[in-house]
Amino acid sequence: MMKSNEILSLREVSKSFSATERGGEPIQILDSVNLTLQSATSIAITGKSGSGKSTLLQISAGLLSLDKGVVLFDQKNLTDLKDDQLSKIRSKSMGFIFQSSLLLDDFTALENVQIPAMIAGVSEKLAKERALELLEQVGLSNRLTHKSDQLSGGERQRVAIARSLVNRPLVLFADEPTGSLDERNAAVIEDMLLDLVQEKQVALMLITHNNAFASRCSHVYHLHDRHVEVFA
Amino acid sequence: MSTPLIHMLVTRKLGIQGTWASKKRILFNVLLISIVVGALVFAQMFVVSMSNGIANKYALLGNGHIQIHENQETEITVGEYISDMQFVAQAFALVYSPTKNQMVRLKGVGPTYFNEQRLGELTLLDTELVSDGSTLPQVLISTSLANLLCVGQGDRIALMMINNNTLRPQLVIIKNLYDSGYKELDEQLVFCDYSLMERLFSNKADTYYELLVDDDKIETVKSSLQSQGLSVTSWDEENYSVATNLNTSKQAVLGVMLVVAVLCGYFISELSREMIEDDKHKIAMLKLLGAKDSLIRRVYFTTVMLVTVLSVVLGTSIGIFMGMNLGNLLSLLAKQSIPALSFYLLDFVIVIPYMEIALILLVLLIVGALSILWSLRRVHKIDLLSCTHFD
Repeated sequence: MMKSNEILSLREVSKSFSATERGGEPIQILDSVNLTLQSATSIAITGKSGSGKSTLLQISAGLLSLDKGVVLFDQKNLTDLKDDQLSKIRSKSMGFIFQSSLLLDDFTALENVQIPAMIAGVSEKLAKERALELLEQVGLSNRLTHKSDQLSGGERQRVAIARSLVNRPLVLFADEPTGSLDERNAAVIEDMLLDLVQEKQVALMLITHNNAFASRCSHVYHLHDRHVEVFA
Repeated sequence: MSTPLIHMLVTRKLGIQGTWASKKRILFNVLLISIVVGALVFAQMFVVSMSNGIANKYALLGNGHIQIHENQETEITVGEYISDMQFVAQAFALVYSPTKNQMVRLKGVGPTYFNEQRLGELTLLDTELVSDGSTLPQVLISTSLANLLCVGQGDRIALMMINNNTLRPQLVIIKNLYDSGYKELDEQLVFCDYSLMERLFSNKADTYYELLVDDDKIETVKSSLQSQGLSVTSWDEENYSVATNLNTSKQAVLGVMLVVAVLCGYFISELSREMIEDDKHKIAMLKLLGAKDSLIRRVYFTTVMLVTVLSVVLGTSIGIFMGMNLGNLLSLLAKQSIPALSFYLLDFVIVIPYMEIALILLVLLIVGALSILWSLRRVHKIDLLSCTHFD
């Protein structure tokens, strides 16, 4: 059972990958990992490249299957759910930000933020209102009709933040959100992300190499040798 | 499912407000499908019109739409749908010119035989023969036969006929030349006055009533006449091999068109396959944002079907436009007297075979829709993580 304020709980999660496409000896990435995330709190996962941080995030969000263990998200065991049920949870209760902003390049900034809300079943009008509000909050009200290739890296990432929050998710999964930005833009995004998360009362699972950024979260976990260690 | 969302995604896929690349891809496919559909529609119009044209020549000049095999004394009630009724006689004869000979069908007709409808099926030389005081009977032969016999208007030819098991020669003069445009028919059909047939065959020639009726009422009129106890045949029974060949040709061509339509339908699914392959990254992104496979499939299905329907409408319009202007082109070709085209009928009324065209387009759309649905199975196989870069 999950505790009442736990939104995400990983129990004894293990994951391995085949060494080659043709099989071979599997490589163990995660071994009996336990982790919890409480509502409206933030955790950061740090670790060396290849340590399995992103794998841990993908498993937590139900994007990747696991070999062993249980992932409970909002009282539901993600491993038991079908594709359509997972899609619904991703749409309504999860937000994602990646290192690359991953915007739909045929669409404007406004539409990129609007689309996830419409996928979740929000009316076009309300989705637009929410998108406008969020884009204003991330300081892009003057870039509404710009397409992806007309925006800078920092601006694209700000659109991605707005997009991730448009459905008022329970958890925001952020994988190296500042990884591709210069120092000044990275600092802006860090502040913006943490402020919005706090303001919107959204739980955050952050993957980062940046210890300073990680230290601004409620808890910091370090992934080392297939296990998670509480770092701070 | 959100209709505005599908509308937004589809319009962008169609290239409306989209990138030049997406516009180019859609336009290229619209053009390609339109050309194929246009060619199919045009070819179908050409084949059906030509077949109908040939059938019309045989019906109007050869035997009439309907034949009543009764003598002149029989009382016949002329009902509706019958536009003309003529009593004619026919016999086979060998025709001799100074250098060549040919077996022909000699047809004796009355003075009102060449009415407007029949004259519409043939071209007569502008000038008729001015009588030189000769008492020889006159005949009307085709330019094809005249060329074959190496004779012309005003020349004399001999007819050799079999009557009561005796051969009877008759010298005649060529009054005029006609050209129906269909060499096969022209080479064996010679017209003369009915009175000549009466005289030559002493009332023993094969005689019958020849009726012209509306094309779509042949069976109705035939049944009605049969119900009066009359011996009735229709033109396709009198020209069985020609009618069968025309029908077989039409069916074979329609079959080929349907196969092409099936292939075109399959080609359409290539567009959806190509789109999905190119958009793998975007599809994975949409799935990551919570879009179900069914939503994505609906977007691509709608997009490709819209492209298909647009192309089909455009292609059909192009095909019909080309078909309707075919007459001008054929007239031009006919005037050139190109030997390679001499065996083809180049003068016929263009018709739009709605049923055949509808069938071809329906098959194309059904095969297209099914193959698109089949190709969209791969949406499910797209890994939603393929859009991300993880360490």
